[in-house]
Amino acid sequence: MSPKPVAGAEVQRILAIVPWIVANPGASKEEIATRFGMTLEQLDEDLLLVLMIGVPPYSPGDYLDVDDDGEFVTINLADQFSRPLQLTPAEGLALLAAGRTLLAVPGSDPSGPLATALTKLEGALDLPNVVVEVGEPTYLAAVRDAAARGERVEIDYWSAGRDDLTTRRIDPALAFFAMGEWYVSAYCHRAHGERMFRVDRIRALRATAEQFEMAPTDEIAEVFTPAPDDPRVTLELDASAAWVADAYPAESVTTRPDGTLEVELAISEPAWLERLLVRLGPEARVLRPESARAAGADAARRVLARYRPEASGPSRRR
Amino acid sequence: MTDAPSRVERVLNLLALMLDTRIPRTREEYVREIAGYPEQTEANRRAFERDKEILRGMGVPITMETIGDGNEVGYRVRPDDYCLPDLGLSADETAALRVAVSAISLGDGSGHGALMKLGGVGDQASAPIASLPIAPALATLFDAFRRGAVVTFSYRNETRTVEPWGLSSKRGHWYVVGFDRDRGAVRAFRADRIAGDVEVGDSDAFEVPGDFRPDDHIEDRGWLLGDAPTVNVRLEVDADHLDGVVAELGADARVESGPDGNTFVDVAVSNQAAFRSFVLGFLEHAEIVEPPEVRAAMIEWLETVAAGAAGAS
Repeated sequence: MSPKPVAGAEVQRILAIVPWIVANPGASKEEIATRFGMTLEQLDEDLLLVLMIGVPPYSPGDYLDVDDDGEFVTINLADQFSRPLQLTPAEGLALLAAGRTLLAVPGSDPSGPLATALTKLEGALDLPNVVVEVGEPTYLAAVRDAAARGERVEIDYWSAGRDDLTTRRIDPALAFFAMGEWYVSAYCHRAHGERMFRVDRIRALRATAEQFEMAPTDEIAEVFTPAPDDPRVTLELDASAAWVADAYPAESVTTRPDGTLEVELAISEPAWLERLLVRLGPEARVLRPESARAAGADAARRVLARYRPEASGPSRRR
Repeated sequence: MTDAPSRVERVLNLLALMLDTRIPRTREEYVREIAGYPEQTEANRRAFERDKEILRGMGVPITMETIGDGNEVGYRVRPDDYCLPDLGLSADETAALRVAVSAISLGDGSGHGALMKLGGVGDQASAPIASLPIAPALATLFDAFRRGAVVTFSYRNETRTVEPWGLSSKRGHWYVVGFDRDRGAVRAFRADRIAGDVEVGDSDAFEVPGDFRPDDHIEDRGWLLGDAPTVNVRLEVDADHLDGVVAELGADARVESGPDGNTFVDVAVSNQAAFRSFVLGFLEHAEIVEPPEVRAAMIEWLETVAAGAAGAS
């Protein structure tokens, strides 16, 4: 019992194609198929359906008329469908949000065709004020430049997960904004593999005058892709710390009747867990594994040692 | 023409007649006129309802009016409400919108649907640039804005009644910014923290001040989100981490070099819990030096955490 969405998608596609052909009589079927992301066979099927649309009394002149010579096509008598359907709220929002976001990316032309297109949309459709900020870390422009030109660079990088600063040569493939931060995916010559770097954690960047061969990139890599063998840690969280389950991709989340949560996270870097636990304090408890139970307390003692050198050491204080 | 009309054909003909008719027509009239509806009343009522849902689901504005002596319900679609106005976009402008939809991932296919209506999606995929997933509540809030409707929703376990004045995204989060009627002030709400459904009131219930900018009202620096008096706090930061601390604190931070080559950062704080969380993000590479009471509170927190797990079950 699920022909509904399928029928809906087909109806939507036909309602988009018809007004365009009406406005562009004699358009090539090849072009129409390309424009609307469909095959020629799909287009032929859709055009056969268009011939069946009419209004009472359903005499010949009451149907949409499709003139199709196999290569070019014209539609007449489509009074009801000469304009596309209004945008839905979700569609209007998607256009405006995508447009405003791209325009906020450093380097975009603030008065180019995208900017003028958005102004026209907002005016004609009476859309709300949407303001997007994506920030601009110090080395963003340099990294994007290097990726665009295929230039190898050397970076000093602070790894928050391991809490250390390293120097490495990377071949930047793609810089992108996700989860509120700018990332660059790159081949790292130190790790001998693809790695993801946070651009704001690059502390210095130097050109190397070396080129690398660019590979096509058409997908945003998952920022957090838990490796199957990353250790899993299960936390018990108070209701006040429920945001943790939203902020990080949790493997599983169970909300108990009393409002506390049991959340399983994949953790590849120990410092990441330490930082989370020392911030959450009494709001979080490690349930599993046993070996991670003291991670927060150990980190707290390490930080405490900085505040009170005389009180540091293995003995536990109360 | 012996084949029964397909579902798609039936839905398209229903829409054609709804657009064509000047007076609202009843369900009985539609199912009688249009080929493909079942004979039996209960079956054709269900089929008609499902077709109507398909059309409404894609945004067709089907109006429902009482007709005759008021006992009957009629339906139609007003062409003016149905049609997308001519936006007057140039080819360059349409192409720029295509690039934006292709390069920015919002986590749903609505951008694709919009491009279809604007004349096609094209076949050029752009390299991805950003991912800013849209919470489901945002589309409802967006529509409420267009209609000037007051919205009611649950936020942090409280019911809020808000005039939605604008939308903004900062640091990867979407916010709705508006006038909170109960608090009598402009407030920002994170869209992904709005729980459950958003209730939308009557249209044209408010007007947005002309000079309103939603981003002016979003405070994403947690340490300034508080009603407590502002305190100037001094941090000592390891040299390797200074850039990171300054990048997060932004223009508010003042950096000063100490006599022994160490570095200090001064910043104004009105929410000490949020600031503590920020400082702990740097683990042992940053230390609160002054004032003494803020430093003491940090030490107390760390002692609690250090003792907590040792005594945990």
